[in-house]
Amino acid sequence: MRLLLLLLVSLLAACGNEQGEDSDTAGLRVYHHSSDGAPTSLDPVQAATLYANLIVVNAYDTLYSYKYLERPYALKPNLAAAMPEVSGDGLTYTIKLKRGVHFIDDPAFDGGKGREVTTADVVYSILRHFDPETRPQGAWLWQGRVAGLEEWKAAGPDYDRLPDGLEIVDDYTLRIHLLQPYPQLLYTLAMGYSGVVPREAVEAYGREFGLRPVGSGPFRVVRYDTEKLIFEPNLNWRWEPVDLAAEGFDPATQGFTGIEVLDGQRPPFVDRFEISFIKESAARWNSFTKGNEIQYAGVPVELVDRVLASKDPVSLAPEYEALYQVRSDIEAGFVYSAFNMDMEFGTDPDPQQNERNRALRCAMIKGFDWERRNDSFYVNLGKVFPGVIPPVVPEYDPDASVDSVTRDVAGARQLLAANGWTPETLPTMVYGTVGSVRSRQFYEQFRAWMMEIGFPREKIVLREFATFGDLNKRWRESQLPLISAGWGLDYPDAENTLQLFYGPNKAPGSNSSNYNNPEYDALFEQAAVMLPSPERTKIYRRMNQMVIDDCVAITGLSRTRISVWHREVLMYPDTSIVGGFFFPFVALQDEKGLRLAPEPTPEVN
Amino acid sequence: MNAAAEELDPVGLSDAAPESLWTKGLYKFRRDRVGMWSFAVVLLYVGIALGVWLGFWATGWADLAGGKWEPVSGAHWFGTNIIGQDIFDRAIYSTKTSFEVGLVVAVLATALGAILGAIAGFFSGSWLDELILWLMGVLDSIPFLLFVAAIAYTLQSIPEISKYSMHIAMIVTFWITAGRLVRGEVIKLKEMEYVDAAHALGVPEYTIIFRHILPNTAHILLVQATITFVAAIKSEVILSFLGLGVKDSMSWGLMISESSQEVLAGFFNNFLAASVLLFGLVMAFNLFSDALQDALDPRTVAD
Repeated sequence: MRLLLLLLVSLLAACGNEQGEDSDTAGLRVYHHSSDGAPTSLDPVQAATLYANLIVVNAYDTLYSYKYLERPYALKPNLAAAMPEVSGDGLTYTIKLKRGVHFIDDPAFDGGKGREVTTADVVYSILRHFDPETRPQGAWLWQGRVAGLEEWKAAGPDYDRLPDGLEIVDDYTLRIHLLQPYPQLLYTLAMGYSGVVPREAVEAYGREFGLRPVGSGPFRVVRYDTEKLIFEPNLNWRWEPVDLAAEGFDPATQGFTGIEVLDGQRPPFVDRFEISFIKESAARWNSFTKGNEIQYAGVPVELVDRVLASKDPVSLAPEYEALYQVRSDIEAGFVYSAFNMDMEFGTDPDPQQNERNRALRCAMIKGFDWERRNDSFYVNLGKVFPGVIPPVVPEYDPDASVDSVTRDVAGARQLLAANGWTPETLPTMVYGTVGSVRSRQFYEQFRAWMMEIGFPREKIVLREFATFGDLNKRWRESQLPLISAGWGLDYPDAENTLQLFYGPNKAPGSNSSNYNNPEYDALFEQAAVMLPSPERTKIYRRMNQMVIDDCVAITGLSRTRISVWHREVLMYPDTSIVGGFFFPFVALQDEKGLRLAPEPTPEVN
Repeated sequence: MNAAAEELDPVGLSDAAPESLWTKGLYKFRRDRVGMWSFAVVLLYVGIALGVWLGFWATGWADLAGGKWEPVSGAHWFGTNIIGQDIFDRAIYSTKTSFEVGLVVAVLATALGAILGAIAGFFSGSWLDELILWLMGVLDSIPFLLFVAAIAYTLQSIPEISKYSMHIAMIVTFWITAGRLVRGEVIKLKEMEYVDAAHALGVPEYTIIFRHILPNTAHILLVQATITFVAAIKSEVILSFLGLGVKDSMSWGLMISESSQEVLAGFFNNFLAASVLLFGLVMAFNLFSDALQDALDPRTVAD
């Protein structure tokens, strides 16, 4: 009996400990975010995914960031003191840094006190992308653009020897010398890849640096594992009062969020920022609707019809309306399937066979039913568009012909027959994908459509891979005939999607389709050095038409994301370009209004 | 019939009295009502699977026959799935998949178990027996799902074989039980007089094992094959649900896997169709297997 009592007491004590965790946060302003995937590393050189980027731009400073509310997206200085001075030829960028910015305190520093961020840190952070030891993934942003980087890499990474293109003018001034004009340079300096890291911490922690972020961003990581990440505000960060007008606030489209009350207030508005990584959409939804376990989620596709009262404009059903806020935003990216032009149905030196191959690809494009794909998997909320310039970028052409995204089974069959393609001569198409229910359904739908235009069932073959990494490796090695992928824009410029078909980027580069059209490449190179202008837009659209005319890809559809969050949270979340840059503005309210930090109690001497 | 015979055969069945284990077993099985009913259900499933195999029905399982999530109707008896495929066709087609997997695994795993078990039993106590027992122990100790995943991963670079990774994993795992049973039986049988006689006549050992001893374990193998068949079907569904099973075909496991997302939207047709058909087959096969075991058990067959 005594033993039983002891056990009971121990059990109660254990429960008490669990509650103790809650009591740690009692009275604190805690915001519970969720993400459908976890980053595998928080090292900026490996911030290749949206998940990693979301965190990295909050743990680290970037020179520039996006205005919270401005649409179309616009940059603003972050660690930089101002927008850069650009030379007349567009080849030299001079960037001043803010003074007095410090890394967070960490044992890696002398005395454990975070030191000031200087130009040398910015240069070091970019150079790490050219050091194979760090397993970097962002070198493509600056390779061949910034002078001397390739030579620096070829000579063996030596951080004490700087390349010509990265000049440290003084502790607070950086000068970047380009090989040719690069209008997208500033966008790259707002990406997680360009997060500024301290050399001491990288050297102290080695490979573990990806798990122990030491940055100068608005938040410091206090817990990070595969289930959860917890941020606490970096109280030494430059928390400037919110200037909604400067952030691009539009009362007509953003007023519903109630964020006007933040104007003039000084963040941080939360004491703790918890991000739960929940992959399963059903589990996320259950967690979201269960009290305050998480306060932000996406609406699962299967629940859209039940949760929404209207899709256009998006509004919640009454039972949800009272509890949650909602907004939809079209993704900065698109989904598509590209043909591997190095395969038997791609480019052929024999003009007759080349034309025959093009007819086959065009027939497959005609056989694809974008409207139905949109209905099946995106509840008709996706935006179908022709080509590879998605609606989110300014170069998108709303008046372009939609022939390439309109299904025409009879036309497809006719095209195949006219070019001598029969069920016997049609090639086998291996559809590579990551093993999941949804991917399999994509495949089955695709197979059924191809069967309708004349493909025998056994010629559309599924090949599943355990991870996206495995699949991506096969694409990079040009081993698969079809590249069915989603592309998220790194910055709001169509150059970022058009480069997917630029010849010199062929596999193992980002041009997994291995499209190689000298005329297209010449136009790409011509536009690459141009600033945004109607002339550049014209060139972009011409390139877009080439991709359509050559039947290089079955494209495309931009998905619409529906975000919902609890009404006590004041924010305007953005799932793509702004990404994690909205975190510092997140605030909580209660029945009395905005929850501000309590006034510090005056010390009594 | 004289008095003595009447004493031995009080109900007068001596004319039709079964003599061998098989005829006795058959006689007993035919009197087992549950066994016969379950056998009829199994035959029905066999008929369905054969019909699919011969192309009589469920030929449109991969076609987009209707719209998204259509309800039950005359055109679509179980409705349609998210991309408009007919759920009835897919559920029926999956019967063939189950039988293919069940038969391949049951036959090969039982055969492998019989051969290795017989060798181990015949040479019990030798290094060969030790080796086979060690192999059984090692394979038994590997968690099944991890084992399948490991095999799938190892074989993924050979697409022609990788689609059979599930079969390979099951065969490599499921032969062990049959092997242990046969080993035990062979240890018993090898002490019988007819084996001594064969030895005395100079019959080679492999002939004694495979021609004289192994046939006498057939009743064990038959029962074990039916048990393996059911286990293979269940495992196939679980593995397909987890994405480790059927690749280029259709399976109840895949249907249940699909339904895991659809139930959120209140659509249960995939789940119900696959579950009911799976339940029917597994239940019938289990009952059939039990009845067969009872009928062929040498300890009870004379009752």
